[in-house]
Amino acid sequence: MIDFELTQPQQLVKDFLQRLATTVIRPGSLAWDRDHKVPDEIIEKLADLRGGVSMGEVPAEYGGEGGGIGETRDKKGTSQKNRFAVLGAEELAWGDAGLLLNLPGPGLGAPPVHLLGTPEQKQRFFAVFDKPGLHWGAYGLTEPGAGSDVSGIRTSCKKDGKDWILNGRKCYITNGGRADWVVIFATVDPAQGRAGQRAFVVEKGTPGFSVGKIEEKMGLRASETAELVLDDVRVPEDNLLGGEARYQGKEGFVGAMQTFDSSRPMVAALGLGIARAAYEYARDFVRDNYLLTRPLPRYAQLAGMLADDARSLQAARLMIWRAAWMADEGIPNAKEASMSKAYAARVAMKVCRDAVQLMGAHGLLKENFVEKWYRDIKVFDIFEGTGQIQRIVISRRILREAPVF
Amino acid sequence: MISFAPEDDQQIAMDLSRKFAAEAIRPHLRAWEQAGAVAPEGQAAFDALGLCALDLPESPAFGNADEAARRMTTLCLVHEELAFGDAGAAVALWAPHGATHAVAELADREQWDRLLPPLVHGPADSAGPLRGAVAYSERVPTGLFAGFSTLAVPQRNGYALSGRKSFVVNAGLADLTLVFAQINPDAGWDGFGVFAVTGRPGRREGMRVGERHGLLGLDTVTVGELIFEECFVPEEDRLRGGGAIGAAVQRYLARVQLVGAARQVGLSRAAYEYALSYTQDRRAFGKPVAHFQAIAFTLADMLMDVEAARWLLWRAAAVVDRGPLDRAACSLCAQAAAHANEAAWRTADNAVQLLGGAGYIQDFPVEKWLRDTRVLSLLSGADPLHHEFIAEAELGIPPTSLAGGLSYGLPGAALQAVLS
Repeated sequence: MIDFELTQPQQLVKDFLQRLATTVIRPGSLAWDRDHKVPDEIIEKLADLRGGVSMGEVPAEYGGEGGGIGETRDKKGTSQKNRFAVLGAEELAWGDAGLLLNLPGPGLGAPPVHLLGTPEQKQRFFAVFDKPGLHWGAYGLTEPGAGSDVSGIRTSCKKDGKDWILNGRKCYITNGGRADWVVIFATVDPAQGRAGQRAFVVEKGTPGFSVGKIEEKMGLRASETAELVLDDVRVPEDNLLGGEARYQGKEGFVGAMQTFDSSRPMVAALGLGIARAAYEYARDFVRDNYLLTRPLPRYAQLAGMLADDARSLQAARLMIWRAAWMADEGIPNAKEASMSKAYAARVAMKVCRDAVQLMGAHGLLKENFVEKWYRDIKVFDIFEGTGQIQRIVISRRILREAPVF
Repeated sequence: MISFAPEDDQQIAMDLSRKFAAEAIRPHLRAWEQAGAVAPEGQAAFDALGLCALDLPESPAFGNADEAARRMTTLCLVHEELAFGDAGAAVALWAPHGATHAVAELADREQWDRLLPPLVHGPADSAGPLRGAVAYSERVPTGLFAGFSTLAVPQRNGYALSGRKSFVVNAGLADLTLVFAQINPDAGWDGFGVFAVTGRPGRREGMRVGERHGLLGLDTVTVGELIFEECFVPEEDRLRGGGAIGAAVQRYLARVQLVGAARQVGLSRAAYEYALSYTQDRRAFGKPVAHFQAIAFTLADMLMDVEAARWLLWRAAAVVDRGPLDRAACSLCAQAAAHANEAAWRTADNAVQLLGGAGYIQDFPVEKWLRDTRVLSLLSGADPLHHEFIAEAELGIPPTSLAGGLSYGLPGAALQAVLS
């Protein structure tokens, strides 16, 4: 069927998260941006209230709630997991996307553990999230010298008896400074390219493993982004994800990349939530202020901006839903996942820019949310694959032969 | 439930249309453009497919009530496929059937039973269905006063139509023309009616063909003027719209926007696929032109434009099928139209650009599609009107361009005041 109505469970979840965003998240949002921190008690409160929306999925068989929130299988038994995920992500980001990245859970560390880890490793690493208190996982791939070009990582790993010795530097790691463990990608030999890469779980407190600086960012300031230093870090071989057998081919790299087909639409949905928030804020400002003195036809250009932004947000949402639907149906969706992120990021940038413009000088004041959202949104065309990388992924799939750029 | 899967009956209609577009439309697009018309055998082959029956809610084209209930979505799927063959040809092929859905929306039961069968099947004594046209637009700028400039002066047992209609698709070629005319000039957009004028111009007293417009694109389609000089229309041929002419016109215009958007999606997909293929065959500096990043990225952006416009169109069509056609639904139709217009223009423009010099010459179809899209976008309503309607709906303010609950394509009193 061709249909876009939300199921009742989906509508309930959306309404619940919207209320959560309005009553608990928005009131603190500007302060967290200003202070560059979310208080622990807020994170704990949200972790309890969020009804199972976790950052990174702990699979059911290892104590997690499995996929997403609420009823995730429809009557035919098809999973609704990805559709729930993008709906939830949009609502929570409408509240505060930076806050969302603070929520406890394995984060982006979950997919490599899930995909590459042995059953024993999954048990061991996911178990930490059952313990009381706030716990995070993290994902350490990016380095100062290697962002888009993942094959360029230089953090080294060298076998020493039953251990591995890791040396290097990782940067831009969300929750890297406070995570219980971080999945660190290292290489046995840069000359081997992707075939030489290995994924390790490095636990907090391991000697030689330390936090460098916490980044000062343009936006998403409520989220902590850390630099990690590995100085002769000794990691037991039991922490090499999947064991040595896993790396006969180029498993490490494949493990890093495979996560994006699910995560890209979700990240796109976060950006959409921010943009929708900015659009609504500016629209309501126009309605409540400008229309007091003149009718809308005298603001024809503003009407044009509002109309363009409304339809672009709708279109971006549907691109995301399309990618999520394909993931739920088990249809390969790498191209659509990348399209949804590339498209939504560009739309979101324009909408946030328009929102500031529509409010005039008021759009520049820190007391108004659109100022923050304008800063928050820029990263969405950069992290989780830049817009340029997305277009490389897309063009590789539409051309008969993969281009060499 | 969020779902993007066409039903089996929809897939069958799409496949049928796609096949026809590839085999019977695409090979002839230039010849028909130069002739200014589709060839008779092409029209006959298209009519034989029976696709136009999808325009009618009660039609043997639908196997069951569910299929009928999703017909707007099915129509959009079909129109995209036909326009993929060629947008001009797609409009021209459907044009003789263009009055059918309007009559279906605007007629009451008695008129439905009398006027529709000849349009759908043909009169008892003729070879095929009657051809239709809709005369709506006028040269007189709509900002000058409220209402149509073509008058329908009440007479005994009927009305006398006088005035000039422009931009009429199939002007002069139709056996039945729906004419929008003003009954009460003092009542603005509350004072018009829709009249079914039977007979060809020249053979019908008081109606004659004016000039055929020479247009930037869509040359395959006859678009021209109709001149009315006290053309008498009996009372029973004034469409009574089941009592709610305003709502009926709203449904009519919603369909115009969605079909227009579907054609734009088809056109933009045609431009994208043509450029995708061409740039992989064309070599420069030692490799396919598509393997240069700027070209590859442009192709990726074009695909995103096509798909985003299509999904927004599908959402609007699904909402219309589900009903009711309230303000939010009408806003979604306008959004789909505006989004598809922009996507098609940009994709067609990119296609010409990616073909380089070849994109500019008429040996290749992309320049035609860049011209066609400009005309197509105006056929489904001007973007500024879309913008105003969408913005008002978003702001939740009383509409300046609705009058008495009527369709938004018509400027209301407040807008008149601003413009005058």
